Amino acid sequence: MSVSLTITDLVARDPRGRILLSVDALSCEPGQAIGIRGPSGAGKSTLLMAIAGILAGAEGQVKWGDVDILTAGQSARTAFRASNIGLIFQDFLLFEELSPAANAAIAALFLPAKQRRGLRQRANEQLLRLNIPQDARTVASFSGGERQRVAIARALANDPAILLADEPTASLDRDTANRVADDLTRLARAGNKTLITVSHDHDLLSRMDRVLTLTDGRITNDSRQERAGV
Amino acid sequence: MFDLWDGLPVTVQDMLVALLLLAPAALIGLAVIRGFAPGPLIRAMIGRFFSANVLFVLLIAVSVGLGVGLIAQERGLRHGTAHAADKFDLVVTAPGSELTMMMAAVYLQPTDAPLLDGATYAELAGHENVALAAPLAFGDSYRGAPLVGTIADFARYLSSDRIEGRLWQTSSEAVIGAAVPLQIEDRFTPAHGMTGPHSEEEDEDHDIDLTVVGRLGVTGTPWDRAILVPIETIWEVHGLANGHALAAGDQIGPPFDSEFFPGTPAVIVRSEQLWANYALRSQFTRDKQTMAFFPGEVLARLYSVIGDVRQAMEILSLVSQILVAASVLLGLFILTNQLRRHMALLRALGAPGRFVFAVIWGYATSLLVIGAMLGLAVGAGAAAALSEIVSRQTGIAISAPLGWAEIHLVAGFVSVSVFLALYPAYSVLRSPVATGLRS
Repeated sequence: MSVSLTITDLVARDPRGRILLSVDALSCEPGQAIGIRGPSGAGKSTLLMAIAGILAGAEGQVKWGDVDILTAGQSARTAFRASNIGLIFQDFLLFEELSPAANAAIAALFLPAKQRRGLRQRANEQLLRLNIPQDARTVASFSGGERQRVAIARALANDPAILLADEPTASLDRDTANRVADDLTRLARAGNKTLITVSHDHDLLSRMDRVLTLTDGRITNDSRQERAGV
Repeated sequence: MFDLWDGLPVTVQDMLVALLLLAPAALIGLAVIRGFAPGPLIRAMIGRFFSANVLFVLLIAVSVGLGVGLIAQERGLRHGTAHAADKFDLVVTAPGSELTMMMAAVYLQPTDAPLLDGATYAELAGHENVALAAPLAFGDSYRGAPLVGTIADFARYLSSDRIEGRLWQTSSEAVIGAAVPLQIEDRFTPAHGMTGPHSEEEDEDHDIDLTVVGRLGVTGTPWDRAILVPIETIWEVHGLANGHALAAGDQIGPPFDSEFFPGTPAVIVRSEQLWANYALRSQFTRDKQTMAFFPGEVLARLYSVIGDVRQAMEILSLVSQILVAASVLLGLFILTNQLRRHMALLRALGAPGRFVFAVIWGYATSLLVIGAMLGLAVGAGAAAALSEIVSRQTGIAISAPLGWAEIHLVAGFVSVSVFLALYPAYSVLRSPVATGLRS
């Protein structure tokens, strides 16, 4: 499944009513790789959360295909994420006590029983593609790069159409960051997935089809670029 | 419906009550976990805060264990004291406090008591419905073991004829209870009054040497620590007549001559027929002359007073256990705050709120259930230790194995605490996902 993203009149405010994010219009074709950059506090993560359907109290429309993920009910949003969105975070957010396979297949614990086997299989395939040791008892001894690859495998385990990443290379050294950036973009393109990543990392952003610049909660630049480093 | 219930065997009733008490916990568990497999994450959480979790489990185990142990112990004490009075169907004494006289005659607790005269004893001993009328005489001891003067038939009756060696034949022979630290053929000099186990107060000693000729079988009563001697011995060492006319020579045991009978504080009466006991009690309950009572009935009255205390104790125990469980849940609540990001992550990944709820609830419930199970073991250990201490102090054999009452208490505790565990789960669920991810 591939879906397009359409954002219209999106406004997010802080608890005191101050505008954190204001996007009049933004659209994204299926399979596109989009980078979002901007100074700290510009609203990048807020935009990503709005796109993921986990931002409460925002106004406007964020539509994935026909689904307005901003206004849909909580269970509908949750179900949409479970089926369509893979998420990757700067600090990996793995369960240290679990094995790489258990971390990558974490969704098997809450998906319906009939989907669990397939999900575990896909998680293992992704770990293999990402060269993650299968025999490790837990991820506690893993390096940052290995952890982020486990997180990528987790994001891809349910074969989502959309990958959202928040600073996926920020906690890694340069070489590792480049390899993770390669893996992320390679797997996204191989699966024709829409990839939206917030990042300060020029090397990662240079691999995107399009880079949005956010300043003070507004998109101030939207540049399309040639694919590089894939 | 009630007839059906009453028709069930007691064990089945107990099992059903236990299941009924556990039912709320089981239903909550089913409703929360149905369709999910949160086990690996629950194990991960237990592993992450291992030391704190061990402490929580121990706190619950100790609080449940003490409650359970005390209740089992109280029941064991009741059974032990009732068993110790089994052989004492009817006690006849001079008028006074039934409780005091029961404590003296059955449990050998020293007391000053007025005496029954020879005529009363003769009337009892000669009564057609009396199979055994054993006079008792107290007041002396040997190294903490009370000397009780009585008749040979009573020693035989008390030990159900289990006697190693033989019974006394002269007033200088003694038969010891099973737990008295003397051996057959040992000689000893009793002292006046109650002395401690290592007393060296020689000036209190009587001028008589007694020889141990027999040992009674274990009775599980304070009598296991007593030294039984012919009642004539007690009377003689106190310079009294020995119950027999001079012409009787060295006669030991009944019949006694009323004229030479110095008196006895209590007579243990046994009748072959139950109804006769009631008739005897009525016949020998006379103002200012005699008082007759069933120790079993005095105990029952005592237990009914204690029963209220026991119920209060059970409630207090449950309340204290629940307070400990609530404190533990508060601790878990603080711990789970550290997992707020991971729980938000699960929801961001598409986990339904109920799954996150199930993980936190399952984690808390695991600790509560493990703690409660361990608590049963701690309770059994505490009850055994308390029984040992009380048995050593009183001589009453007390066994306090855990019973259904304790299992019901723990089942009730599990259900209530498992219900309370819903709150920390709910509080984690209430936190917005975006806030959780940024925390």
